[in-house]
Order: sequence, then structure tokens, then C-alpha cells
Amino acid sequence: MKGAARDGQTPAFRCSGLAKVYRTGETEVHALRGVDLVIPAGEILVLLGPSGSGKSTLLNILGGLDRPTSGTLLYGDRDLTAMDDAQLTRFRRAEVGFIFQFYNLIPSLTAEENVRLVTDIAERPMAAADALGLVGLGDRRDHYPAQLSGGEQQRVAVARAIAKQPGVLLCDEPTGALDSSTGVRVLETLAQANRSLGTTAVIITHNVGIAAMAHRVFHFLDGSIARVEQNAAPIDPAEITW
Amino acid sequence: MVKALDRKLMRDLWRMRGQVLAIALVLAAASATFVLSLGVHRSLTETRDAYYAESAFADVFADMTRAPRSIVARVAAIPEVRRAEGAIRQYATLELPGSSAPARALVISLEDKRRPALNRLTLRAGRLPDPGQPGEVIADEAFVEANGFPLGTRLETIIYGRRQSIKIVGIGLAPDYVYAIAPGDLIPDNNRFGIFWMNTKALEAATDRTGAITRIALTLERGASEAEVIRQLDTLLAPFGGTGAYGRTDHVSHAFLDNELMQLEAMTRVIPPVFLIVSTFLVYIVLGRMIRTERTLIGLLKAFGYSDRAVGWHYLKFALAIAALAIVLGTLAGIWMGRGMTSLYAEYYRFPILRYHVSPVVILGAAGLAAAAAGFGALGGMRDAIRLSPAVAMAPPPPPVYRAGLIERLGNRAHFSVIGHMILRHIARWPGRSAMTAFGVALSMGLLFATMQFVDSSRTMLDSFFFRAQRYDLMVTFTEPRGQDAIFALAQLPGVMRVEPTRAVAVKLRLGNRTERTAIEATGDNPQLSARIDRDGREIALPTAGLMLSRQLADKLGVRAGDRVEVELLGGRRTQLLMPVGSIVDEFVGARAYASAAALDALVRDASPVGAALIRIDPAARQEVLNLLKDMPVVLGVSERNAALRLFERMIDDNLFTMLFFYIGFASAITVGVVYNSARILFSERAHELATLRVLGYHRSEVGIVLLGELALLVVAAVPLGCLIGFGMAQLMTAMFSSDLFRLPFAPARSTYGYAILIVLTAALATAAIVARRVLGLDMVRVLKGRE
Repeated sequence: MKGAARDGQTPAFRCSGLAKVYRTGETEVHALRGVDLVIPAGEILVLLGPSGSGKSTLLNILGGLDRPTSGTLLYGDRDLTAMDDAQLTRFRRAEVGFIFQFYNLIPSLTAEENVRLVTDIAERPMAAADALGLVGLGDRRDHYPAQLSGGEQQRVAVARAIAKQPGVLLCDEPTGALDSSTGVRVLETLAQANRSLGTTAVIITHNVGIAAMAHRVFHFLDGSIARVEQNAAPIDPAEITW
Repeated sequence: MVKALDRKLMRDLWRMRGQVLAIALVLAAASATFVLSLGVHRSLTETRDAYYAESAFADVFADMTRAPRSIVARVAAIPEVRRAEGAIRQYATLELPGSSAPARALVISLEDKRRPALNRLTLRAGRLPDPGQPGEVIADEAFVEANGFPLGTRLETIIYGRRQSIKIVGIGLAPDYVYAIAPGDLIPDNNRFGIFWMNTKALEAATDRTGAITRIALTLERGASEAEVIRQLDTLLAPFGGTGAYGRTDHVSHAFLDNELMQLEAMTRVIPPVFLIVSTFLVYIVLGRMIRTERTLIGLLKAFGYSDRAVGWHYLKFALAIAALAIVLGTLAGIWMGRGMTSLYAEYYRFPILRYHVSPVVILGAAGLAAAAAGFGALGGMRDAIRLSPAVAMAPPPPPVYRAGLIERLGNRAHFSVIGHMILRHIARWPGRSAMTAFGVALSMGLLFATMQFVDSSRTMLDSFFFRAQRYDLMVTFTEPRGQDAIFALAQLPGVMRVEPTRAVAVKLRLGNRTERTAIEATGDNPQLSARIDRDGREIALPTAGLMLSRQLADKLGVRAGDRVEVELLGGRRTQLLMPVGSIVDEFVGARAYASAAALDALVRDASPVGAALIRIDPAARQEVLNLLKDMPVVLGVSERNAALRLFERMIDDNLFTMLFFYIGFASAITVGVVYNSARILFSERAHELATLRVLGYHRSEVGIVLLGELALLVVAAVPLGCLIGFGMAQLMTAMFSSDLFRLPFAPARSTYGYAILIVLTAALATAAIVARRVLGLDMVRVLKGRE
């Protein structure tokens, strides 16, 4: 699965009838209402949609952080819905790189050590220094998060996510807290990982401009996919502005 | 109408109930130990003082061989003496029905039909002896209760070599025998030692002392000089074989009671402060964390117009609420334990009424201390809350700055895993809190160790006193000093394997202006049935010439080996001479002096050097030997070493283990309180990081290491510190618990360190496991939604 060439055919994820219901007290919130989708390996996907439309819920389920209430979800030929907690943890450890809006770096660890958190436990990691080099932070590896700018912190988070050479990168608003030029740098590193490692990338964003770099764009509304766009010629992130 | 802020306070207390309870338990332990020890101390002191006053307990006592009753008037005429009274005291042997065990009696004269003016007897049951019935006596309550004798019981005694039947017609208590102990014993043996009061005429007849007395007790005018009265009394009584007058401090019953009070006071001074310190620190860290997490809220409150003082007071109330809970719990526990402890005391110390009296002053004191400890702990947090300006408070706090800690810089960084770095840097980031956590656990261990080593201490004393120093089975005292023939006579008894003579001569030792009343003890040459053992367990041989003093006595006199002390012989020929102090022995019990038989004989120069005999017997012949001894008219009393040993062991088992049980609970409460609060704070600080690690693919167990690893490191660091604190605290406590009567040895067994460590680690582990369950239930998604 890992490193599969983007052929638009081999699916990374396949899900059908995926539903998620949160119960808080008396009320039920239907976060996902029967989502069917196929995510081809090696593609960049963008999930667009208003807050509460189910994007993050889907991302968390794809990454094995959460479980669907019903429906099926396959990663390659593995059934994620049948996995127990330990198996999901192993799945995350081996296959998934997460990037969050607020970086989620460990403040007590330097940039390199934050990356090592992942390389220490991954199966085929690249060197932590190389991962930092890929995001252009080779010279800042001994800095603590508090000593880095927001953009730099997010690039450390990207380095941490790609260092294990994951099958899939799941990014929840990766540029949400960044200004335009810094955001573009982060997107460039994501695109580069996609190109050079063949990593499938799923990006949640509110920023419609970012959709231009994706192979496919899923529009979410009310827990369902309202529309899917195919993009025959994704542009380079450097051309994106907001 | 509850104000909104108070409503928040109540919800905070409920939300943080685990932490609140953990702190309250530690603080409650402070209140409980305070209410316990000070409450029992006050109860005992008040009971004693009231009893002494009501029963006219004398101030000065003097014993003599025999003096005419007319001496009493002359004593009463000494300036500053308020009242004097004479009596006959006579030790006797007792035959207990259905028991072959040797028992001893002290028979005291009781004025016919008149209540004594001093040391008044309290009649608990029955009546006073009928002057027309010479055999009627009042028996002391402890003896009657222990043996289950009803009124009317008849006992066979040998008083002054004569067999006499006595009948118990009354049961009484007297202030001079609150702690009714036989000579040479450490613990009252109520089964085998009884005090009896007999009509004066009857006792005069039984002891050939018509118109004579053997003891004078007196009270002093207010502000009188006790030393001066004693000096005059000694001069007056010297021709009558006076053995030296002494005040209450040297009165055996009073001294033991005083010793107990002193130990209670020492407990009050050492133990509650430990809990108070830990509570203060717990409040400090918990409130500090609470204020950091409520930073934005504090800003909002101030922006709404709440004053700095209102905000500060809000957080102080949080601490005081914990204190209030602790005071209630601690006071109840303290009263409950105080009652139990008082009834334990009542077994050994006999008062007409000994009840645990809950003094409001004690409870107020405990409450004040608890509130002060909690309030003091809240000061740091309050200051932070007050200083926060609204604008600063509502902005997110600056990110924590981490750097490699000292340990990391010292060590080779490469050896640590990333998780190891996280743990060490977090410790280094909060050095004060980390140190306090380790220190709290160490204090808990120290307290455990310091209390548990009392068992070792007592056992060492027991071993030294009963096994190494006393190697005989029986000690036989004679009605009066005998010659060597008495030893030969005993040696002839079947079943007797060895007999050694021993004697004790009452003396005053003087060096410069310090004087001590004591006895010089001597044994025959090359003694095998007794030895002087120092605190290291070594046997110290008697110097061939001169004296050997126990450390206790030497310190009191300010004597060092090689000095010469003035020895004044009491109770007979008044000789004074200088004797060299050949050596000093570190003993545990009493303040005693020793000399070789030859040296003592040279001092006393009499023909009857045997005061008592130490006997080793064939265990199989015990019964027979005891029966034969009973029938020897020269025998005044027989004491059995094993009986004293059993009493001592029972005292350790009953009292010490009961006390230990409580203290293990209390000390564990410290560990639980410290570890629980540290773990909860750690967890709340690190929930975000732990969730991140889970997202990155770390298993629950691996994530648990981050949390528990830090705690484990601090607890492990606490172990050597705890051993050190325990070592110091134990030495302090053994020193504080030592008195004129005992010097407690500091002799902890190695296993005691082990047990203290084990208990603390178990408590820490159990507590950590509770918090660790939260790690398992961590909701990654929810935690990661927002920023820290």
C-alpha cells in the first residue's frame, strides 16, 4: 500500500454508508449520514464545507481516532471498523500522519525530538534530520516549539507526519492558524511529500483557494457529501493566494 | 441567596472532590494527631492534678529503717513544711490461690478510723478495715481486678517472715500508686504485685514496729525550697537509717506518669507539624494549578468589576473549605482515638476516674493550625490571582519554556529516549513542585520509619535488659541484708543451678554542686547471672576499684571517667568518701551506679553483704524451687524474670502495635495525598500531550509511562531522602522520648527501612493506578479540538 504510485485506480480508503451519531444526553447529533466515498491512493483530496458538516468527523474516522456508528470502512483491504483499540493504534503508528490546526507539538521537546517521537516507533522511518530538511528546518532542529514561529511549528508538525513515510496524511485545517505566505510553504511541503513519497493526502479546509491544488474536492453539507469535483490539472501551491 | 462566586466555589470543590479529599485527609491527620496527643495529655494532666490535690499527694518522701513516731512532729516543725505524716511500709510475699507463681505485696499502714491526711486512700468498694480485726486489708484496685478477687477474699501472706492470713474488705486507690510498680520492674504486674492497706496497730504488730514508722511523707508551703527541706529532713532522719528524702520527680509512680506526659508532649511537637507542612504544600500546588487553569476566568471576573480582594478571597475560601472538612474529620478521628488511648492508659495508670476530656481549647487549637496551614498554602496562588491584570489574564498564557534539565546536561543526552526527555524536562520545568512532591513522599516515609523503629527500639531495650543484662531466672530479696550463708542455703535447694549475691546500697553522689540520690549495685566476683550491657550490646566489666556509672547518671552529675565523686552512704552509718569513677556505661534503663562487691564492701564495711540473690534454676524444677522459697522465712519476695519479660512484650504488642497501626494509616495518607494530587495535576497539564502521543500511534501503556514515569522517578528519588529524614526524625524522637527512667536506643532494624519503603511504594502505586485509569479513558479527539 505504502508508496503506491498514483494511478487513480488503487483505492486508499473505501467507505460506504458511513454514519456517525454523537449522543449527548437526550440529544443525538448526526455528524455523518451515510457517506460513500473512495479515496484513490496517491491523490491529494480537499474536504470543503461549513463547520459541523462532518469533515473532521470523517477525518478522525479515517485516521482511526474515532469509530463510525455504522457503515464499512476499508483501508486497502483492511477493515478499520473491525479493529480494536490496539489494532487502530498500530494502524495509526504505521500508516497515518496527522497534521492539526494548532500543531500539537510537545512543548518540552525540540523540533528534532518532536519528529523522533514518530521515528522512534515507526517501521520504516526516514531520519528525523532528513524530515526536518524536507520542510526546510534543518537548521532549527534544536529549537523548542516556543522558540519557533507558527509557520515553523506547523512545518515541524508536517515533518513529524511525513517522517514515518505514512500511507496517508490527514490534515485538519493545516493552514488555519497561518498567514498566507506561511500557509503556502506548509502546503508546498505537503504537495512535495505527495509527489516524492506518493502519500495520499486528505486536507480539510475552509479556504476554497486550496482546493485548486487537489486532485479531487469533496463538498460536505449536513453530514453528507453534496458534490465531488475532479481536478484534472492541480496547480502548484505556490500559485495559491488568500 | 448564594452568590454566583460562592456557587462556583461549591462546584469547584465538588468537581475536584478527589483532590480536595486527599488534601483534607492529610490535614485531618494533623488535626487528629494534635487532638489525640494534646487531648490525652491534657486529660491526663488535669486528672492527675485534680486527683493529687483532692487526695493530698505529698511533695517530699523519705524512707528509713525505723524511726519513732514522734519524729513526725519534728519533721512537721521544719520551716516550710506544711504537714507531715508517718507510715509503715513493708514488702511481703503473697500466695495466690491456685497459682504457684511468686507474688509480692506492699503493705502500708492505715491510721485507725481516720482518713490519712496525705496520700489519701480513695475507697472504691467495701469498707475500711475494722481495728478489731488485724487481718483485714484494703487492696488496690488494679490487683483485685487483674486477679478477679471479690470482696471477702482471703489470701496467705508472709509478712516480715511471719505467715499471716489477710482478708480483703475494701478496694482502694492512692495517689502515690497511680502507677503501681514493684521495685525493679518497668511495667506494673497487677497479677503479681498488690498493694494493701492494713490498720496501723495490726501492721505494727506484724512487723515488730510498735510506735515506729518507716516512711514520712510531707507537703510543702507554697514557694518553699524543696532542696532545703530535703537537706534538713536528711539530717533529721540520718540516725534512723534514712535512705535520703526525695521530691515528686524521683517518686516512681509520679516519674512514670511524668515520663508518659513528656512523651505525649513530644508527639504533639513532632507529628502534627509533619502533616501540616505537607498539607500546606498540597494546597499550594493544587491552588496554584487551579489559578493557572482559571486565568481567563479571573480576567473576566476582574473585567466585570470584581475587586482583587474578592478574587483573592474566593481562592482563600477554597483552601479554608478544605481545612473545615479536615477539622471535622480530624477532630472526630482524634476524639475517637483519644478515647481509645486514654482507656489504654487507664490500664496502667489507676485514677478514680480517667476519662478523655475533649477540651474546646484543644479543638480550637487544632482548627487554628489546620486553617493556618491551608491559608498559608493558598497565599502563593492568591498572590498570583490578585496580581493578574484583566487584559493579561484574558490573553493566553505565554508558552512554557523548556530546556534541558541539570540531570540531562550532566548525563549523556543520547541515552535518553524522547519520552525520557519529556519526563525529565517536565520535572526540571517545575522544580519546586517536583521537589515538594518528592519531599512529601519522603516525609511520609520518614514518619513511617520513625514510628516503626520504636518497635526495634523497644525490642533492643528488651533484648539488652532482659536477655543480656539479666541472665537469672529468679531474684530473691531478703527481709534484711544477710551474710554469705543465705547464698549457701539457696544453693542447696534442689533444682537451683547457680546462685549469685547482689546488693544495692542507697547513696548520694556529689560532684561540685550537683547531687544525685541513687543506689550502688554490686554483684559477687565474676558474675554470670547479671551483666552491664552498653548500647552497642557489649558487656562492660566492672572496674576493680571505684565506680561505674550509667551514662544517664554521669550526665546528670556532669561526671567523666576518671573524675572522683563524693559518695555519701545513706541508711545506716553516714560515711562520706571520695571514689573514682572508673568507667561509664551507656545503659537504657535508669540512672544507676555499680561497683565490685569488694569495693562496695570496703565502703559499707558490714557483715551482711547480701541484699538479694540471683538464681538460675533447672526449668523443670521451677515449681519445686518456688514452693521451697515460699517456705523460707528469710525470703521477702521472689520475682521471676520471665513474667516481667512477658509484660514488656505484651506492652509492645498491645500499645506499640496499636499506635503503629494508626501511624501507618496516617503516613500512608500523606503519600496518597501527595501522589494523588501530583498525578492529577500532571494529568491535567499533560492531557493534551498524552492525547497527541496517542494520535501519533503510541499505545495506552506507552502513554501511561509519560505520566507514571515522572511520578515514579519522584517517588524513587524520595526513597533515599525518606531514609535520611526517617533516620533524623527517629533519632530526634528517641531522644525526645528518653527520660530519667529510660533512654530509648536508636537501633532500627534494616528491615524497618524496607517496610517503610514498601508501604510508601505500595500506597504510591495504588494511588497512581487510580489516576492511570484516566489515561486509559482519554478522549483524544475532544482534547485535541482546542489548544491547551
